[in-house]
Amino acid sequence: MTETAAKTSRASLFATHKGVSTVALAILAVVVLGALFAPSSVSPGAILGMLPFAAVLAIIGLGQMLVVQQGGIDLSVPGAMSLAIVIISHYPTGDNSLVLPALGIAFLWAVGAGVLNALLIGYIGLNPIIATLGTNALLFGAIIGISGGTPRATAEILRTIAGDRTLGIPHTVFFALIALLVVSLLLKKTVAGRRFEAAGASRPAAFVVGLNVKAFNGMSYVWAQMLYLLGGVLLAGVTSQPTAYMGNSYLLPSVAVVVLGGTSLLGGRGFPLATVLAALFLRQLDQFVLALGVPFAVRTLVQAAAFVIGVAIYTIDWGEVRRRFQSVNRSPSGRKHS
Amino acid sequence: MTSSRTADNAILELIGISKNFSGVPALTDVSLDIRAAEVHALLGENGAGKSTLMNIATGMFRPSEGEIRFEGKPLRDFGPHEAQEMGIAIVHQHPAVMPDLTVLENFQVALPRDAFPAGMRDRDYVQTLLDTVKLDVQLNDRVETLSVASKHLLEIAKALALKPKVLVLDEPTAPLGQDSVDMLFGLIREAVATGTSVIYITHRLAEVREVATRVTVLRDGKLRQTSMVSDVSDKELLSLIVGRELESTFPEKRSVPPGVEPNLVVQNLTGEGFQNITITGYPGQIIGLAGVVGNGQSEILRALAGLESFDGSIKIGQLERKQRELRTEAALMPADRQHDGLMMRMSVRENAAVAALKKFTSGLLLSRKKEDLQVAEVFGQLQVKTASPEAVVSSLSGGNQQKVVMSRALLSDPLVILADEPTQGVDVGARAELYRILRTVSESGIPVIVASSDAKELEGLCDTVYVISRGQVVRELHDDEITEQDMVHAAVTSTTRVIDLKKMEAEEKRTNRNSLISKFWRFARGDYAPSLLLLLVIFGLGAYILSTNDKYLNSFNISSMLLLATALGFIALGQTIALLTGGLDLSVGPLAGLLVVVISFFATDEFTLGSLVLGAVAMFAVALAVGFVNGSLIRYVRFTAVAATLGTYIALQGFSFVLRDSPGGSIDTGITSVITYKFGPIPAAFLVLAIGTLIMEWLLRKTSWGWKLRAIGSEEEAARRVGVNTNRTVITGYMLTSTFTLFGAVLLMAQLGIGDPSQGIGYTLSSITAVVLGGTSLLGGRGSFVGTLFGAMLLVQVLNATVFLGLDQTWQYVLQGTLILIAAVIYSVARARR
Repeated sequence: MTETAAKTSRASLFATHKGVSTVALAILAVVVLGALFAPSSVSPGAILGMLPFAAVLAIIGLGQMLVVQQGGIDLSVPGAMSLAIVIISHYPTGDNSLVLPALGIAFLWAVGAGVLNALLIGYIGLNPIIATLGTNALLFGAIIGISGGTPRATAEILRTIAGDRTLGIPHTVFFALIALLVVSLLLKKTVAGRRFEAAGASRPAAFVVGLNVKAFNGMSYVWAQMLYLLGGVLLAGVTSQPTAYMGNSYLLPSVAVVVLGGTSLLGGRGFPLATVLAALFLRQLDQFVLALGVPFAVRTLVQAAAFVIGVAIYTIDWGEVRRRFQSVNRSPSGRKHS
Repeated sequence: MTSSRTADNAILELIGISKNFSGVPALTDVSLDIRAAEVHALLGENGAGKSTLMNIATGMFRPSEGEIRFEGKPLRDFGPHEAQEMGIAIVHQHPAVMPDLTVLENFQVALPRDAFPAGMRDRDYVQTLLDTVKLDVQLNDRVETLSVASKHLLEIAKALALKPKVLVLDEPTAPLGQDSVDMLFGLIREAVATGTSVIYITHRLAEVREVATRVTVLRDGKLRQTSMVSDVSDKELLSLIVGRELESTFPEKRSVPPGVEPNLVVQNLTGEGFQNITITGYPGQIIGLAGVVGNGQSEILRALAGLESFDGSIKIGQLERKQRELRTEAALMPADRQHDGLMMRMSVRENAAVAALKKFTSGLLLSRKKEDLQVAEVFGQLQVKTASPEAVVSSLSGGNQQKVVMSRALLSDPLVILADEPTQGVDVGARAELYRILRTVSESGIPVIVASSDAKELEGLCDTVYVISRGQVVRELHDDEITEQDMVHAAVTSTTRVIDLKKMEAEEKRTNRNSLISKFWRFARGDYAPSLLLLLVIFGLGAYILSTNDKYLNSFNISSMLLLATALGFIALGQTIALLTGGLDLSVGPLAGLLVVVISFFATDEFTLGSLVLGAVAMFAVALAVGFVNGSLIRYVRFTAVAATLGTYIALQGFSFVLRDSPGGSIDTGITSVITYKFGPIPAAFLVLAIGTLIMEWLLRKTSWGWKLRAIGSEEEAARRVGVNTNRTVITGYMLTSTFTLFGAVLLMAQLGIGDPSQGIGYTLSSITAVVLGGTSLLGGRGSFVGTLFGAMLLVQVLNATVFLGLDQTWQYVLQGTLILIAAVIYSVARARR
């Protein structure tokens, strides 16, 4: 009995890290394929150009992951990011000294949006799709109200902080690493974080233990907004002339990286490192396909394929498939109805 | 026992039935014959194999060994559907009802068409069915508003309507009040008089005496005896039920020295499912709650754990405890370990530590060292066998899982330990250890309450036992009085009746249901309240805009608004179907875009009739294929709806760009003008949409397609049990969603006038918005196409309004956002109100 227990536990230990190893393998594959068939995709220039955007996606993905692991989904990513971009570029209009106050304003908006989502979903019990859809529309109202829809150049100091490199590494990468570290630390090393994980892993079981499950569900939207804020501000710094709609292109990838990282859309455990790696993978895949010189259409199809294969890896019970296959091979009539 | 082979009037014969569940025998060589027109009672403790036997008889399970004969003919490989057709009906302990469907629709979806007499309206017939079971509910009430007892009566009425030859009733009286029980017995006698045989599963000897002619007792999956009820005394039956061998050893009991203060005093505890529970416990004692499963034991423990609200007082130690305190300080070990007890995908360590995290802090952060140390210590004490503390808890055996739950309880330094069926699914060795642990805990001064349906276990373990029947204490036993015999006796002979508070409330409501207020709420909970609300808003907003700008109603504005609403409306109708099944289709937007690109190759200036037909065929082929892929990914590959349709979303965008990397292929203006043809200011296409909506609405309410669709969204398991082909219904549902998207794409084609690969995407979110505004629930099972149409119209109107009111784009967004949030809040509040 102990032997089988040991065996299954090793298998399940592996399962915990399935996300990280899967995505890491995928990155390796893209890099190797790139080196072989499209060397320009792994040139330093291409990598350095890709990294800032991968970093921003990683940060946004971490936010989405917190929500998804609580069984929710956040469609207010575009509004949240775009609002952060607009506030940080519009208020200062190039004046470095106003960047910090603008950041404060953006922070207040982010808290407001997060609390609104938290109340609607955690307390009133609205479906997260509807609630965050509504919040997203309200945020775009604010975006247009503040900026009138016209872009302004970001302040130089922000461009330096977000866009420069130190030791040859883009600053955004450091920010993404810090975000990863903070999220992981809070989840694994604090009482509230561990309870947060438990509430996501099983609502009924967490309720029995005495946890306020609704509060944890709701709070995930507030934490997510903090990360969207960071991602938005960095993106504003990286692209010196940001538009008011830049957040739109981050919604689907944010869900995609969460799913590719192994977090179930039905809730459960979140995998921060795998999510961040998935962001890197998705962007490098883009680079690779781009370097192959194929049209935009094929790039999109490759993304779709990567996404579907990724979901299939985690959704399908491969052990069951193997067992069924074997039992069909051995005894065609056996265990049909079990 | 062998008489079944010779019984010439036996209608159903079960011969030598055995059933194993993954090697564990649930039934061993059981033979049973049911004679024509008899009531045959099936007695036995929980887990004796009664339900398993009946599941085999009704085709839910296949026996591992043995034969089933019906009317003399052997049956092989039959399912519930075939059993029903042959005339074997079962009323399950948990009713297979669809909560979002109305009472009438629940009958319509579950009964075969030929069960309804010709020449009689369905509702009149169903009303007569309800009258036979004296169920006084409105046909148009949603079943979710019914009390548990009413749902059971509905199930019984459904089974009777099939006019079965064999009717299986699985503990039918458990939730019923006295009147209903009498009425049910009357119905059973009537049915028997017309030749129906009834198999009656129960725990109550009094009921056996009242209705049954013969009785069979099962124990441990084996047949004990079949005899005429008149030939056997209560005492004999009792001795047949009890007396199971138990291999476990129990720790020694403790008697209370005189003069010791109790450490647990529960007085007049009353709550949902139990009432006036009074319990007194002394230090070192283990208290047992005995009785048949589902008589309120779990509810009592949940209340003691602070998970449910209660009246009465709970004193632990010297202090009175409030619900809030109990919620965090009491430790419950739930019966359903997989669902309520453990976070199955987390590690053994995480599960054990989760209730005691505060103990492991060091400064602001958790100290892994402290945690590992204390967890290891408890694991050592309880002898938890795990390969590593980091193994996922689901990899452990049942006994070790229960020990992890126990470790969690002990680590949290609880006020009280409440164990619900602690040894269920636990092997013999681990049982003895769990008993020892419970005893040790109790000796340390922490009160321990154990609820178990296994009387033998309580006999060995407890110092005081309360026998619970229908939520009330029917017997209190101490020390040597605690015998299995006494507990089972008290439980099966109790004549207590349910006091179902909810039912009384429901009855109360019914008495004044014709009052204006109750009529209002009935309507507000219905499917058409959102439609009315939307109409009011549409007219109100229209009137306001007209008052500020009299050009608002000019024919150009009206027709352009209606054209926009038509495109959105068609796509939203499709989205409604996906939502009704409990799913979601994110791919409608890109699909609409792709279809326009497809047709842009055929409907250019040089079009011919042939090319148009070809184009239409291509559009249909693409749409149906996309719907099929969506549905199959969801049903067969088990993707979530969001993941599946997100995948196709991205792919469809790619295909659009494969076909055209930039806008091109001007649509012929002749074709455009046909599509946008108007009668006065009203576009013909809008009329098509309106008529289509009404047809869809009719199909949804009045045909089996509509009932099945909503049944799946409402309660998939129940839908399957009543014979709905869930996979096929959902997959065709997604294909229909895509087809409606195609109609929307035709309108979009006329608006765009060109094949543009980047268009259409926005329809995904706006279609969801329109559907939600119309009151269709994202949880599935309820909604209306009419509401969706109004939702689409209001959405277009709001966007248009900002132009006429001179408001900037900010308002467009703000109004949209406010609208959807307010609508969602209103609908969810109306739904929550019962």
